[in-house]
Amino acid sequence: MVRAAGLVKKFGDFTAVEGISFEVRRGETFGMLGPNGAGKTSTLRMMSGLSPVTSGELGIDGIDATANPRSIRDVIGVVSQHDGLDPDISVRDNLTVYGFYFGLDRDTARRRADEVLDFFDLKTRGGDSVDDLSGGMRRRLTIARAFVSRPRLVILDEPTTGLDPGSRNRVWEQLAVLKNSGVTVVMSTHYMEEAAILCDRLVIMDEGRILGAGTPDELIQELAGAEVAQVRPEEGQRDSVQRQLQESGYETAELGAIFTVRGLNGDRADLSKVSGARISYRAANLEDVFLMLTGRDLRDE
Amino acid sequence: MNESLAKRRDTGRIDFRVRGVAGVWLRHYTAFKAGWLIEMTGILLEPIFILAAVAFGIGKLVGDVEIRDNGVEYAVFVAPGIVVGNAMWHSLFECSWGAFRRLQTNRIYDSILAAPVSMRELALGEISWGATRALMTTAAVLAFATITGLVESPWGIGILGIGLLTGFMFGGFGLIAAAIAPSTHMLTLVFTMVGTPLFFFSGTFFPISTLPNWAQPIAWALPLTHPVRIARALATGDLYLGLLWSMLYLIVAAFVFYPIATRLLRRRLLV
Ligand SMILES: Nc1ncnc2c1ncn2[C@@H]1O[C@H](COP(=O)(O)OP(=O)(O)OP(=O)(O)O)[C@@H](O)[C@H]1O
Ligand SMILES: [Mg+2]
Repeated sequence: MVRAAGLVKKFGDFTAVEGISFEVRRGETFGMLGPNGAGKTSTLRMMSGLSPVTSGELGIDGIDATANPRSIRDVIGVVSQHDGLDPDISVRDNLTVYGFYFGLDRDTARRRADEVLDFFDLKTRGGDSVDDLSGGMRRRLTIARAFVSRPRLVILDEPTTGLDPGSRNRVWEQLAVLKNSGVTVVMSTHYMEEAAILCDRLVIMDEGRILGAGTPDELIQELAGAEVAQVRPEEGQRDSVQRQLQESGYETAELGAIFTVRGLNGDRADLSKVSGARISYRAANLEDVFLMLTGRDLRDE
Repeated sequence: MNESLAKRRDTGRIDFRVRGVAGVWLRHYTAFKAGWLIEMTGILLEPIFILAAVAFGIGKLVGDVEIRDNGVEYAVFVAPGIVVGNAMWHSLFECSWGAFRRLQTNRIYDSILAAPVSMRELALGEISWGATRALMTTAAVLAFATITGLVESPWGIGILGIGLLTGFMFGGFGLIAAAIAPSTHMLTLVFTMVGTPLFFFSGTFFPISTLPNWAQPIAWALPLTHPVRIARALATGDLYLGLLWSMLYLIVAAFVFYPIATRLLRRRLLV
């Protein structure tokens, strides 16, 4: 469905995306996980035909995105990081008018608007102004809008950033239903939980590069092991603990006052000889993967 | 690249869809309909107040004005100027202030461009709506002027077309301002530095010949001067060959700003 090879995006002298390659298969949900400034939006905007490709190849559903950005927009739905909802018209009209941009006639546009309002549980708010919606509803409306044109591929840029946990769960539920309906989804996020729940496959991005790719489980297994150890040095013991960990030979990353230690070959790290610290084990997650890849926290600003 | 990919490459023919423009125009129409009562009041009342005050108030003090060696009542002289001047204000406002809100404040352009609407179509949709509003105000004020006897010739109906072209011209100009403005402050400046002087010095309220000699060529170069001149000729029925120059100026100016606006919007948004 999507094929990128050596994709580069430059803004003047600054390179935001440094030659990334990936493939998205038809029907899957594909994630881009990365911190602020990783280049997620830059990549998604190129895929949406909204930002010229500096160099490299990019094909979307058989269309060359570098040469034909508009034809891409015929077949995709876009949910941008900023909602871009229209405050001058009602919730329902936001959807109808979006149909007009796709060249739908009045009746079809209205029918589709009602369908997606229904699906995204916004039916009772159709006549309201978008300014009166809660953050979660605005986001759902933005996602609903991307479906008015019945796209084959939907591109979502951080669909739940800034939402409270309740609203986030609703968005996840609805995305899960859509995913089962067969539409291909490409989404960015900096929540590892979101990536783990929704994505069939994902890439981990940082500073314009892809650092790892695979299913969430594969990535965790390969890069963080099944379990990681968390080592909390006691008062005044940090340096000694750090030395002991170095000598142990395990891969270690320090975050705040805690060391995260990765085991070998999927086994948990044996740290029975380490003294002066409290040690606990927990299941590894994508955050650990990121930490192991970069030595930094995913949520670092 | 595989074969099907190569086949779908742009073949160099101009990629322009009327339905893209229509979509944008319909968005504006939808928003307009939602608040039409308030909008209409603005469109109708303000220019009518100005026309009534200037034509019937100030006009009584001024006496006749010479146009082409004919004396006409001041009210008859000023009415076409006010009609066309208002057409300018409406499309200028819509395409600068309104467009800037959509572009920057609410980021609606981002959403429109994420649909298959090209920048060229978006810009033309914006300008056509500005021109539509210009046409609405032209029709309203022209009707009022006709009823009050200030339009002396049936040619006056042609002022509708002049209002529309004026709308296209200042819509394009306004959109350029919106595309380069860093903030709304600069747009306010466009109204005071461009809108206001044009409204007053384009032969709208007094003949250009009353200006000092050095200022007259400047006044003749102003873009509002020409539609006002044509509108006045249509309202009085005094048509002459020199108007063709004004018509040429108007038609060229109506469409010269549009490609520039498109280009500037591309530079700002398609990065
Ligand atoms: N229009 C632009 N001009 C210059 N630099 C830009 C522009 N857009 C993005 N950048 C830079 O490119 C880099 C990547 O930005 P991008 O928005 O793609 O990151 P992101 O992964 O989406 O981050 P976030 O999680 O904050 O949305 C950043 O350093 C950003 O400052
Ligand atoms: Mg982003």
